[in-house]
Amino acid sequence: MSAVRFENVRFSYPSGVEALRGVSFEVPTGQRLAIVGQNGAGKTTLVRHLNGIFQPTSGSVYVADAATTGRAIAELAASVGYVFQNPDEQIFASTVIADVEFGPRNLGCSADEARSRAMASLATVGLAAEADTHPLHLSLSERKRVALAGVLAMQTPIVVLDEPTTGQDAGGVAMVAGVVEALASAGRTVIAITHDMDFAAEHFDRVVVMAKGEVLADGPPVVVFGDAEALARAAVEPPQLFRLAAHLGWPDRPLTVEGFVDAFERR
Amino acid sequence: MIRLDDVGYTYPDAPAPALQHVSLEVPPGSITGVVGASGAGKTTLAKVIAGFIPQVEGGELTGSATVDGRNLAELSLVEAVSKVGLVIQNPFNQISGARYTVRGEIAFGLENLGTPRAEMAAGVDEVAALLRITDLLDRSPYALSGGQMQLVAIASMLVLRTPVLVMDEPTSQLDPAGTRLVFSVLDTLEEAGVTVVIFEHKLELLQAHADRLLVLADRTIALAGTPTEVLADERLSGWGIGATRYTRAARLARERGLIGAEVPLPVSFDQAAAVFGTGAGGAR
Amino acid sequence: MSSTLYVERPSAVHRLNPVTKLVALLCVIVVVFAIPQWWASGAVLLLVIVPAAVISGCGGALARIGGQILLPLLVVLVLVQGLTFPGGQTVLWRWGPLALTTEGLMFAATIGARIVVLVLSSVLLVLTTHPGDLMSALTEAGMSPRFAYIISSTLQLIPSFRARADSILLAQQARGLAVPRNPVRRLGVLMPLLAPLVLGMFTDVEERSTAMEARGFGSTAKRTTLTPVRDSRAQKVARWVMPAVALLAVVLQVGWGLL
Repeated sequence: MSAVRFENVRFSYPSGVEALRGVSFEVPTGQRLAIVGQNGAGKTTLVRHLNGIFQPTSGSVYVADAATTGRAIAELAASVGYVFQNPDEQIFASTVIADVEFGPRNLGCSADEARSRAMASLATVGLAAEADTHPLHLSLSERKRVALAGVLAMQTPIVVLDEPTTGQDAGGVAMVAGVVEALASAGRTVIAITHDMDFAAEHFDRVVVMAKGEVLADGPPVVVFGDAEALARAAVEPPQLFRLAAHLGWPDRPLTVEGFVDAFERR
Repeated sequence: MIRLDDVGYTYPDAPAPALQHVSLEVPPGSITGVVGASGAGKTTLAKVIAGFIPQVEGGELTGSATVDGRNLAELSLVEAVSKVGLVIQNPFNQISGARYTVRGEIAFGLENLGTPRAEMAAGVDEVAALLRITDLLDRSPYALSGGQMQLVAIASMLVLRTPVLVMDEPTSQLDPAGTRLVFSVLDTLEEAGVTVVIFEHKLELLQAHADRLLVLADRTIALAGTPTEVLADERLSGWGIGATRYTRAARLARERGLIGAEVPLPVSFDQAAAVFGTGAGGAR
Repeated sequence: MSSTLYVERPSAVHRLNPVTKLVALLCVIVVVFAIPQWWASGAVLLLVIVPAAVISGCGGALARIGGQILLPLLVVLVLVQGLTFPGGQTVLWRWGPLALTTEGLMFAATIGARIVVLVLSSVLLVLTTHPGDLMSALTEAGMSPRFAYIISSTLQLIPSFRARADSILLAQQARGLAVPRNPVRRLGVLMPLLAPLVLGMFTDVEERSTAMEARGFGSTAKRTTLTPVRDSRAQKVARWVMPAVALLAVVLQVGWGLL
């Protein structure tokens, strides 16, 4: 069963700018997919089709094998949780806990259930102690974690993360990585937009490279990051240790620190 | 150029100090990177160096902070900002919001300073070319993406040509190409004699571009030195800063007995290539 | 999304110094309010506003926007004043206590003509003058730059607020908030979302003011402007002549009344 399917999706903004020029791919349930590419490549526009914020100008988008056409954003929210890149576009309540409870409450959870889900999500992102704080008193990187918790608490089968690691310190990045792993091991689908190739290589099953509204490469990280031509066209570089192994002429193309050291041992 | 001696600072009505016993020195014409976990006090330190604390924020500043030999506490805010430019963390709040084009937005600071028109236009064109945003100049500042806004925000400070530039996470919204561009611009500034202090999480880029690194942990400068010295330090992970992947790989290889403890930990691509290539690993 | 009604055209009216246009607007308003007769407003309309609108190339937009503002106003005016004017003698039509009188209609015409001039001339200024240019020109003419900044940034705040409100609303829908189609219930759902937004904008203002200081806003230097304000000797003269004419109209009117 596929969690998400894009079929020749084209999308033009009212201004006439064509942001997507025929995107097709399918994401099986439980996959961790990273979408990479320059700013303006159409990554955010594409994922915003998943919860109906955008409807394709032509082509179709399927979520859990049902077309999104004509379905309200609020309805799709039960299937797709979407964490906005800028937390200030998402957080609105006057306490952290109220904001995180908002999604589950909309999905019909009881007050108790919403509260316990919210507290669990806040614990996941390391902000349980800030439940009663006003979001404006938190730093930008903390607000980003509140936004993530707000979507995690919805427990949707598909979670979309728009640049989840920007502005996060090492601990924050590790926390986001842990969230991705935990979601996947619970059988949920994770789609993340990221500029951090190392993060994509280390924590995702599959990488899609986009440029100018098109998919340039699509496959397992080890294959995609070896596609020098596509990466150059998308102005991204392979992960650091991957690049180092290639530079050293090793037969392996490691994606992680462990993989790199294993490859070192083997040679 | 910048010198802080035993600086402590407490925000108004805050129960605990945000910075304590901070001593640091930034040599002129250099790039200094500051790393630290979230909440370590980076934004506060940026505002101290830029002269906004305590002038704008209030609160109590102890110790001495000097720029160019002059005590920041004795400088007026206008004097301070003429010496030190501050690029704040959120680019959407860096712009004045009172101009209708990116061109006008970038010129805003120069207008305030009374720069002659021809010089102003040339200055705007120059920074726009440097940051490759010339095609945005006639757009509305409100129609920009986060990444574009960040470049405009940086341009709006660069154009003022302050001798010191303090940047608080200036690449957070940028893609890899944009990030590389900003760091290459820093190199250009350094060649022109500008002193840069950059607060950043991206260790590999700091390693490649900074002359010195300062580590902010527990509200104070816990460590200072060259990038190679600082990034190989064992304590970095404990301070929530992590380590480069090169360093982490070498540590793991050490643990597994693949490289000897006498081999210095690599912190960059080239150093790692030496360690894992023809170096110790190759000998096995 | 734009915060202004400004329509860009390569016209002589657009090229005028914004201060000249502002002075002209104020003088026109003083004249039509000083001289109560409807023909004064009619003359101003035919001899000043219509030609200016034609030259500016914004006649269509002026008619459309002016019409939208004026039509309801004028209908109410004619109904209320025309039907209920207390001094009405010459009854044209009567229905119960309501009487359409010539005096009432004349009174409505006098007031209405002034309102037409006031609205159309103001809208024309807005259509042909970019607010940024107006602020630059006023600053150059001696207005406080802080005041100019407050006005400009407030004008810009509206589109930025709308953009932010739109994105907050989208984000909440993405978290399962159903937005009703009924506008009243819709407002009920939206209000709680927008209140904290206003607070957020104030916090932004605080951070932004830090950024503004960093960009020399507190500087005491004599400010310059990036775009030169177009001006001419003729316009400088006009900026003295127009108020003089307006003053003359007031004096004549007051004198007439005294006689």
